[in-house]
Amino acid sequence: MAKVLVIDYEKCTGCRLCELVCSVKHEGVSNPARSRIKIVKWEMEGRYVPMSCQQCESAPCQAVCPVKALSRDETLNRVIVDYDACIGCRMCVAVCPFGAVGFDVLGKRIIKCDLCDGVPLCADFCEVGAIQYVDASQQSTTKQVTAADKLSEIMQKVAQAISSV
Amino acid sequence: MNDETTTESLAKGRTYGVFRCLNCFERVSAPTGSKEMTCPHCGFAWRIAWVAPDFPRIRGPVWDVNRQLAEKSDAEEAKKGKK
Amino acid sequence: MALNRKIAYIDLSTGQIETKPIPVEMRKKFLGGRGLDMYLMYNHIKPGIDALSPDNVVFVSAGILGATLASASSRTHIGGKSTLTGFVGSANMGGFFAPELRWAGFDHLVLKGKAERPVYIWIHNGEVEIRDAGNIWGQTVHDTQQIIREELGDRDIKVLTIGPAGEKLVRFANVMTGLKDAGGRSGMGALLGSKNLKAIAVRGTMDIKIEHPAEALEYNKKIITQVTSAKVSQTQGKLGTPFIWGATNSQGLIRVRNFQLNQLENADEVEPEALEELAVGMAGCFGCQVHCRSKYIIPEGPYAGVYDEGPEYTSQGAFAGEPGCRNANTVLVGNHLVNIYGLDNLETGSMIAWAMELYEKGILTSKDTDGLDLRFGNDDALIEMVHRIAKRQGLGDILAEGPLRAADKIGKDSIKYLVHVKGMSNLHSDERATPALALGIATGSRGADHLRSRPAIDLYHLPESVLRSIYSQPVPYDGPLSSDYRDYEGKPWQVVWQEHTYEAVDCLGICKYHTIFLGATLPNYEEWSRLLYLNAGLEMTPLDIWTAAERAYNIERLFNIREGLTREHDWLVDRYFDEPTRLGIPGVRGRTIDREKFKKMVDEYYEHHGWDEQGVPRPETLQRLGIDNEPSHML
Repeated sequence: MAKVLVIDYEKCTGCRLCELVCSVKHEGVSNPARSRIKIVKWEMEGRYVPMSCQQCESAPCQAVCPVKALSRDETLNRVIVDYDACIGCRMCVAVCPFGAVGFDVLGKRIIKCDLCDGVPLCADFCEVGAIQYVDASQQSTTKQVTAADKLSEIMQKVAQAISSV
Repeated sequence: MNDETTTESLAKGRTYGVFRCLNCFERVSAPTGSKEMTCPHCGFAWRIAWVAPDFPRIRGPVWDVNRQLAEKSDAEEAKKGKK
Repeated sequence: MALNRKIAYIDLSTGQIETKPIPVEMRKKFLGGRGLDMYLMYNHIKPGIDALSPDNVVFVSAGILGATLASASSRTHIGGKSTLTGFVGSANMGGFFAPELRWAGFDHLVLKGKAERPVYIWIHNGEVEIRDAGNIWGQTVHDTQQIIREELGDRDIKVLTIGPAGEKLVRFANVMTGLKDAGGRSGMGALLGSKNLKAIAVRGTMDIKIEHPAEALEYNKKIITQVTSAKVSQTQGKLGTPFIWGATNSQGLIRVRNFQLNQLENADEVEPEALEELAVGMAGCFGCQVHCRSKYIIPEGPYAGVYDEGPEYTSQGAFAGEPGCRNANTVLVGNHLVNIYGLDNLETGSMIAWAMELYEKGILTSKDTDGLDLRFGNDDALIEMVHRIAKRQGLGDILAEGPLRAADKIGKDSIKYLVHVKGMSNLHSDERATPALALGIATGSRGADHLRSRPAIDLYHLPESVLRSIYSQPVPYDGPLSSDYRDYEGKPWQVVWQEHTYEAVDCLGICKYHTIFLGATLPNYEEWSRLLYLNAGLEMTPLDIWTAAERAYNIERLFNIREGLTREHDWLVDRYFDEPTRLGIPGVRGRTIDREKFKKMVDEYYEHHGWDEQGVPRPETLQRLGIDNEPSHML
């Protein structure tokens, strides 16, 4: 079963280690501008949202590419770039609804998440579990359980309130 | 070649689930989920909080108990001083 | 490479900007961050200048490992002659400023002169620009950052700024970034204010090459495990620094009512777990897994609904322990106010608690306070005084001058009730039962302070064997060591060891919570040596790092001596020796510091440093460290 990156922004502490390890892994440098993942922050409100490629099943970047440089890799369930074919037109950058395809100004090429070929470092280094790499079938399970837990808690409170009336 | 650093070797001595009494410094433990405990070594009483289900820490003193014990100790010291 | 970051020399009077590379030999001597700042400071500040005059110089820096895989490589250092003490001014803060400064191409900024009108500095990918700050002068710390981001059109800009308190030259105004990251101590905010410098904004997208990327990643992972598996890190990740205040209050090692008591009894409402209940989550600084910053929304009162971060130990001390208050909302509000005004919460709390004791003793009356009932335990008066200090209104204007100047203005016996060293208030901890900690605050280069040399693990009752394995590296030590924090023997060496260790941490630009500060099993010299090699390609042994730190600490000493420091400044106020503690566990009750034993401690401390009996570095010490010809004006 192929795995997917699951992001739970409520757990994110905003430390940006994922950006650091991503740029070191792919470019050998510390430079968030060259990271495939980005923490979008509302610093003054304490909201931090990790943004990365969703590896869409029906990927706009893939569809828009005039030279078919983007393709689907079914084994790792990801969209990959053939840099030999890529002409650097940045149409994929323009069309991605998540801003997850970037243009690396220094490397002069588009960059996007490649799931580190099956061991995504962003997830590996995220101690709080805001980014996890799980079986695609499990993606919603955790959220379901959390939501169900909250719901049942409310139900219990309501039941208690009614019985105490 | 031994790659282990000093702090790594010290880390092996870590103890989970037990903590030191803040009066006598003996290592003590508390039943999972308990909210108060009395040190079996010195009798000081502490309110307990749980950092994780298996990781207790002292939240604070049971104020009255510890104050009385400390005042008793003050009195004994004063007596000794008079002798 | 990771070491190609530059120094920018910025003259605010003339607008002249010059950039220079940093030679590798200077890196090996002083590393970066605080160490190199201290070298620059000794070289660029003329002796005897007025700290608030244009002659003073501001130094801002990232550590040599800033933004690398060194774990928590987030720290920004700021230095200059202290506007509070006249000695070494030096403060350190977390957040995201230093990494951004490095990505923008710089490691050090040297800011001279004085701008004619309010300005801020904009640094972007190797370029430095001085810009008009007319529209942000007067704005809060939080608003300033947002306005600059909007003005420059980039939400990822990081800003270092002063608040209204710095503009008003409050001598303990701080410099801040983000919501709560504060370079709090020694009045660096007033220094920026005196230069009409409101803020420094940075944004960078330049590479910092990691010398051995694959191994650096692997090693970082190992360090993360070492840090996060420690109990202290887990506690801190849940409760933040308030856990320290809680644990030490349980024993009677904190200061209450301006040193009159050593425990805040029945403090349940301001205990760490009680504050945690009000938190809405935890946040981290750059690259840190400890995430010790609480996020909270103020629950009640005129500030209800306001979001902020903290509170730290010092906000519990400032807005609960010292003024004798027991209200969590007051702690959160006080914390928020110092954050937006840009005040050092520690000094603010100490100054107000001192004024409260003066009010209690009748040295200050309601005439002096403009009718404010400044008694201990009065939450409203406490909060009102924070406003008055920041705005320099009434008594606030006097307190804003800091301990010694305020005592001079108030006169009478007011100085008797000050708890300070070198004119700087101490952390809200009580060291009468802990000679090691007392020696640390007495001798710290920036005044009474816990982050210069505190051997905090001395409080853990660690076995002597553990203490020995820690304190006999990277230089051998076979003298006495004791597990009992009430002892005097062997403690001077621990203080010296921690002094060099914290200096090293501040040179590397990493957080003290990722080293041997609160946890005995967290990384130190051996790990740093490996981190320097893997990330920056710099080959330095643990001993080399120790020596660089020792060199930097001696430069700080030389600076202080040049500014008139004598042995008398390495001493505690009389209350430590004369007034016994009254509360807490039996082991800390009735304790005072013994004058004779303490004098011996200072002697030993000097001896370990290679300083003479007056505390002056011996010529052979300076020679050994290669700093016998300072200032050498290499940079």
